[in-house]
Formats: sequence, structure tokens, C-alpha cells
Amino acid sequence: MAAHAHDGHLRSPDMPEVYPQFEDIDQQQETYIVGMWAFLVNEVMFFGPLFFIYGLYAWKHNAVFYVTSHHLDYKIGALNTTILLISSWMVAMAVHYHQKNQLKKVCNMLWGAAVCGTAFLAIKLIFEWAPKFDHGLFPTPGFQSRYLAYYGADTNPDVARLFFSMYFAITGLHALHVLIGVLIFVWLIRLIKKRPDVITDYVPTEMVGLYWHFVDLVWIFLFPLFYLMPK
Amino acid sequence: MSEHEAATHGHADHGHADHGHGDHGHHVIPQAKLLQTFFILMALMIATVVAARLPYEGGIKGIPSAIAWLVLLGIAFWKAGLVVQIFMGVKYSTKLTKLYAYGGFVWVTLLGVTLFDYATRQLEPVQGWEPVAESALPR
Repeated sequence: MAAHAHDGHLRSPDMPEVYPQFEDIDQQQETYIVGMWAFLVNEVMFFGPLFFIYGLYAWKHNAVFYVTSHHLDYKIGALNTTILLISSWMVAMAVHYHQKNQLKKVCNMLWGAAVCGTAFLAIKLIFEWAPKFDHGLFPTPGFQSRYLAYYGADTNPDVARLFFSMYFAITGLHALHVLIGVLIFVWLIRLIKKRPDVITDYVPTEMVGLYWHFVDLVWIFLFPLFYLMPK
Repeated sequence: MSEHEAATHGHADHGHADHGHGDHGHHVIPQAKLLQTFFILMALMIATVVAARLPYEGGIKGIPSAIAWLVLLGIAFWKAGLVVQIFMGVKYSTKLTKLYAYGGFVWVTLLGVTLFDYATRQLEPVQGWEPVAESALPR
């Protein structure tokens, strides 16, 4: 067990270590949380402009985007929204249990969230992306003729290509974040179980939770913008 | 159950209180609050799906979908607010955390304002990208 270098006291087994650069445990925990938010601000600045670009083109090509967006199944989108909301609640519960030091329940909740994340990715891959690849809707050269062959001349295929470019870019980046989140859940569960010297308080769970809620946040905007586009 | 219920984490029992880090308390958000938030989020999700399917007559200033967009984005911001405030716990956090959390959203909004420039002028003509005749919006 590591000693309190700055005041010469050994910490008790369930007392989080205060590192010498911090006044007290509150300041240390605040620093971690603020650091995580600084990272999340980066993520906001990363996803925000993508949504702005989408919004701009949805504005400029409203009618075409309306027709094209109806090639997406809003029921699958709603199902995935539900799954992410459940996982977000589970992560919030994991933090709650960690603050009460009920580690077994923390791991159960994190496992639940990891399963939800995996289910989200599976649904996305099998029921959304795979059929679109089959129909040739991935924006590669020749998209326009494939679009006309599959959907007929229901709208402008140039603009439809723009829509699907942004659809794959934004949902793809979001899915990458979900995948990273699931891997972090598994890693965190392992650390909680095997490395009590590393996980001394609830803050690691809180930081992973903040990341996961951000992923949920992105989907909260993505869902109406892509799946529920009004005419 | 109080929203501001704080757990003292059991550390104060170890005789560290006189060193200044034994009496810390962070806000444990009650289970009931988290469950309630989850159900509100689910209700809003269903509301947004229903709202998108309602017929909206008229529109605002010649933009037929303006009301629908306001409803959908309004619900989305409401949901986002709940996630940030309750699930991410910003409501119960320190002032410095609030500054970072809200600052990011304010900053990205400022960035979004620059889009008015692109939205209000003609795009440069590009071969194969002639104006779309069926666009519902005046340009």
C-alpha cells in the first residue's frame, strides 16, 4: 500500500490516496472531473461542426434530404436510442454504487452497459449498415447510378449521395465511440476486480461514465436529425 | 429523499478528519432520481417519434418544416439537458466543473453562428452541382 508522502500518514485501505500536488481529496477529485470535461469539450467541438454541416445541407436541400432520410428505418433508430438510454442509466447507477463502495453492483452495471453497447453496434451493423452496403448506398464512385437502380428517380441522387456521406461519417464516428466505450467498460471492470491499488475511489467510474453519457448525448441529436427529418 | 443527499463515504470514521480530507462529501444522486430521469428520457424519446409524424400546417415565414424542427430540436435539447444535469451530475458539481461543462456548449454555439454566413449566401456554382429545382426553400 502506498504511503501519504506529503503528510507522512499511511492511508487506510479504503481511503483514496491524496497525491502531493493536491490540497485534499475534494480538490483531487474535482481536478479529475474537470480534466475529463476538458476532453469532452474537445469531443463537443469535434461532433458539433459535423452536425452543423449536416444542418446546413439539410437546410439547403430540404426536400431531397427529406426523401432520402426516409430510406432510414426510424424504428431501428428508436430501438437503438432506447438501448443507449438504458446503458446510460446503468452507468449512472454504476457511479452511484461506486460512491457507496458496492463494487459487485458496480461491475454488474458496467457489464450491463457493455452488453447494451455491443447490442447497439450489432443492430447498427446487421440491420442498418449491411443492407445499405448491399444496396450500394455507401458513397463510392457510381453511387448515383446504384441509387437510381435501387430507389428509382425519387429524388436528386447527387444530393442523396451527400446525405449518405454524412450519414456514414457521423454514425460511423459515433459507432467508433461506442466501440471504444465498450472496451473501456471491460478494462475498468478488470481493474476494479484485479487492481484495488489503482481504483481507490469512484472517480475512474465517474470519468468513464461521463464519456459514455457524452456518447449518448451525440445520439440524442443524431436520432431526430437523421431518422425523424420533417418535411 | 433529498436531491442533495450527500454520502460521507464512511471515511470520516478513520480519524482523518483533523487532516482536512476525512470529512469530504460528494453528492450521491439517489437511485429514485436516476430512475425517474431515465423514464422521462424514454417518454421524451417516444414523444419525439410521435411529434415527427404529426402533420404540421403552415410553417413559419415560408419554411414549411420550421415548427416540426423546433419541436424535434426542443425535445432533443431537453433530453440533452437531463443527461448533462442529472446523469453527468453537472447540477451537483463544483463551479469549476460547471464552467468547463457549460463553456464547451457555449463555445460550440458560437462556432455554429458562423454558419449563418454559409446559409444566407449562394453556393459557388460547381459542375454537376447545379441548383436543385425541387428544393422547398427559397435560396
